Amino acid sequence: MTDRALRAGLAVVAVAGIAVAGYLTYVHYQPDALICTSSGGCETVQESDYAELAGIPVALLGLIAWVAVLALVVWDSELARTLVAAIALGAAGFAIYLIVLQAFVIDAWCIWCLVNDLVIVPLLAVTTVWRAWSLREVD
Amino acid sequence: MPPKPRKPPPRRPDARKRNLLIAAGAAAAVVAALVVVSIVVAGGDDSGTTTTTNGGSAALFDGITQEGAELGSQSAPVTMIQFEDLQCPICRAYQEDGFPGIVDEYVRPGKVKLRFAGLAFLGQDSEKALRYALAAGKQGKLWPYVADLYANQGDENSGWVTDDLLERLAGENGLDWSRLKTDAASAEVTQEIDATSAEAARRQVPGTPTFFVQIGDGEPYVVQPSSLSIDAFRPILDDALDG
Repeated sequence: MTDRALRAGLAVVAVAGIAVAGYLTYVHYQPDALICTSSGGCETVQESDYAELAGIPVALLGLIAWVAVLALVVWDSELARTLVAAIALGAAGFAIYLIVLQAFVIDAWCIWCLVNDLVIVPLLAVTTVWRAWSLREVD
Repeated sequence: MPPKPRKPPPRRPDARKRNLLIAAGAAAAVVAALVVVSIVVAGGDDSGTTTTTNGGSAALFDGITQEGAELGSQSAPVTMIQFEDLQCPICRAYQEDGFPGIVDEYVRPGKVKLRFAGLAFLGQDSEKALRYALAAGKQGKLWPYVADLYANQGDENSGWVTDDLLERLAGENGLDWSRLKTDAASAEVTQEIDATSAEAARRQVPGTPTFFVQIGDGEPYVVQPSSLSIDAFRPILDDALDG
């Protein structure tokens, strides 16, 4: 697999993340766009005290992180690759915390939040390969 | 001839790996900080949702006709039908946001009548709460009882609709508790729930809250306010009143 293909893969993952986090941010500010349905507890999670961090919606933090990943992939420097790896690791760690919250504290599952968490898996995987690739290049 | 600038030596893989480790450490520190802030800011309430316990919402409805599930004058030219689930947090948000303004500006002057169309698709607490709300309607107090249930809404299907809560809210609203219990378990209330559920299916209600507006005896049509505030409902209701 070429470096170019890995970058393209990361860009696709980042765009997917932007789409999901963007939707979650939109419904945070436009709660009427989100109705309670029998299929899930998105509304419960979005209305919970954990939906914001010091007044900043968690969904917005996610959106900022995904935009940063996309920008860094486009930039593509040594520093950018390191930062993408750091964001991927941080996102994975925070996603685990949010999943624990949904399971044991809020007692409700937000499907869209889980989709966002799911997109982090390929981000982490591709970033790891990408980073390993660039380290191998200088070995 | 000036000396050729020297090309900087390529960074060693060890330095790159060290930088990556530093970045990973920084990421872990940021995540730890976010988790701590999240727990400190929200962790004070172990339920994860805000729950208030103020009962007695009767003042909002003072002097307004309540008949079963309807609120407002029977001769009001416009009816707004509200499909709700008492466990739905968005319905609670509407109750706190736009609803009081609608009551004051449109229902109290006799322009609009509201019809509570209660659904119970979110689980067992929804059905229990709905049964008692409809039973309160038999004593002409569905609306303040519903408002108080929303004010005490708990986590979905956590068992928050307790007999103690229902009895306390009944007392605060001047309801006959033993009659309320009997009516809540009655076949008549079951029929009302089934009828509303069938109406929701017929009208293709996707979830709650969903609003329909009916002009006179005309066919109700779905409306989609841009937010849950009174500002979003005004143009919808004014248009309906203009016919």
